[in-house]
Amino acid sequence: WLVIAVGLVRAYLAKGSYHSLYYSIEKPLKFFQTGALLEILHCAIGIVPSSVVLTSFQVMSRVFLIWAVTHSVKEVQTEDSVLLFVTAWTITEIIRYSFYTFSLLNHLPYLIKWARYTLFIVLYPMGVSGELLTIYAALPFVRQAGLYSISLPNKYNFSFDYYAFLILIMISYIPLFPQLYFHMIHQRRKVLSRTEEHKKFE
Amino acid sequence: MKHYEVEILDAKTREKLCFLDKVEPQATIAEIKNLFTKTHPQWYPARQSLRLDPKGRSLKDEDVLQKLPVGTTATLYFRDLGAQISWVTVFLTEYAGPLFIYLLFYFRVPFIYGHKYDFTSSRHSVVHLACICHSFHYVKRLLETLFVHRFSHGTMPLRNIFKNCTYYWGFAAWMAYYINHPLYTPPTYGAQQVKLALAIFVICQLGNFSIHMALRDLRPAGSKTRKIPYPTKNPFTWLFLLVSCPNYTYEVGSWIGFAIMTQCLPVALFSLVGFTQMTIWAKGKHRSYLKEFRDYPPLRMPIVPFLL
Repeated sequence: WLVIAVGLVRAYLAKGSYHSLYYSIEKPLKFFQTGALLEILHCAIGIVPSSVVLTSFQVMSRVFLIWAVTHSVKEVQTEDSVLLFVTAWTITEIIRYSFYTFSLLNHLPYLIKWARYTLFIVLYPMGVSGELLTIYAALPFVRQAGLYSISLPNKYNFSFDYYAFLILIMISYIPLFPQLYFHMIHQRRKVLSRTEEHKKFE
Repeated sequence: MKHYEVEILDAKTREKLCFLDKVEPQATIAEIKNLFTKTHPQWYPARQSLRLDPKGRSLKDEDVLQKLPVGTTATLYFRDLGAQISWVTVFLTEYAGPLFIYLLFYFRVPFIYGHKYDFTSSRHSVVHLACICHSFHYVKRLLETLFVHRFSHGTMPLRNIFKNCTYYWGFAAWMAYYINHPLYTPPTYGAQQVKLALAIFVICQLGNFSIHMALRDLRPAGSKTRKIPYPTKNPFTWLFLLVSCPNYTYEVGSWIGFAIMTQCLPVALFSLVGFTQMTIWAKGKHRSYLKEFRDYPPLRMPIVPFLL
């Protein structure tokens, strides 16, 4: 993810504008975000104590956005909303993976812990906005091309409207986002207050 | 005769909820639950879980106080199972839904397909046959719920009815939409395919019913005994030789038959999801059979002969 961050900064400095930065980090973004599927596997086989369901949700939604929306609908790749969520994800992931690495080394600087449990307050809504705006931007092109859609009649008597599906996804953010957000706020209170208590006794 | 004293504590807070003195030694847990309800009427017996250890497993209603490893003053821990609803109610609701919903689509009630199709009828014979099969299936389930099944538990948590109804009603609507659609495409191999599928469906429905009857006969009315099921004179029950839960095997078979008959992908998906769930249940049942009975036939698999 540092690769992506550096890539973004370099491309911005080279081009002078922040449009079309997607292309400069497209490959590492796809590689590293798709690689996060391993995190689901790790939960499933038990080497990581997180919930499989929660992790799946998180990772699948990211992978969906990268492949089923941004990659599939070429017209949205130049949208600013893409840069918005890529930036949010990049900062979040750099902090998150640093947190895990330092924790494993038993040498976690308070700054990293603080950053992980505080910056999400801004980064999470930022990411969600970028994601929603991107899906919204993709809609007319999906409609036009009939992307990933199948209509009747056909011999398997099945139909799927990707346009309607994307709208349903957008609607699902309404109940899901607050739940995840407030879960993080709750975690923050728990984790950061515990550190305060430890500091008092030192 | 020495009487027992029973105190009931909350399993989480250890708060003393109830103290019963002069309890008969032969009192069952069911009777104690009834006494507890008198002091806490909002916790009817079905939602009480009483246990000897706060983290232990629930005691059964039939357990007798005297036979439990307690002194003359017994301490029981209480856990609220949440609002309960009877199995019969859940089954009737979740099965009546698909029966009714499918017919809404079959008769092409307004606002489903375009207005020019309101109350029209399909010209494909397989669509009429599918309606008969689907309706028969759910009528059979309703009748079995009322007259055949003997349930070991009276109730389940209330939230299950919402979960279960969403599943059954949702899938029924999804399948019915396509099968009864004006643009429905009949099976590729025509009457041959439909005849074969119908045969599979009928055989599996008969099989499933036979197993339900055999299981019912294992358990006398009102009792909760569990015995190893064995094949009877009815050939459909001979599947017990190979499988612990042939009722599930036949059920999956019925839906596969229905999928072939209608050549409809949503039906195939419904069969797959149902198969996954039934496999989980079958494996659990198989495991408890093995645990409970030393002499359980070793050749049997949970749901698919020789394989799964």
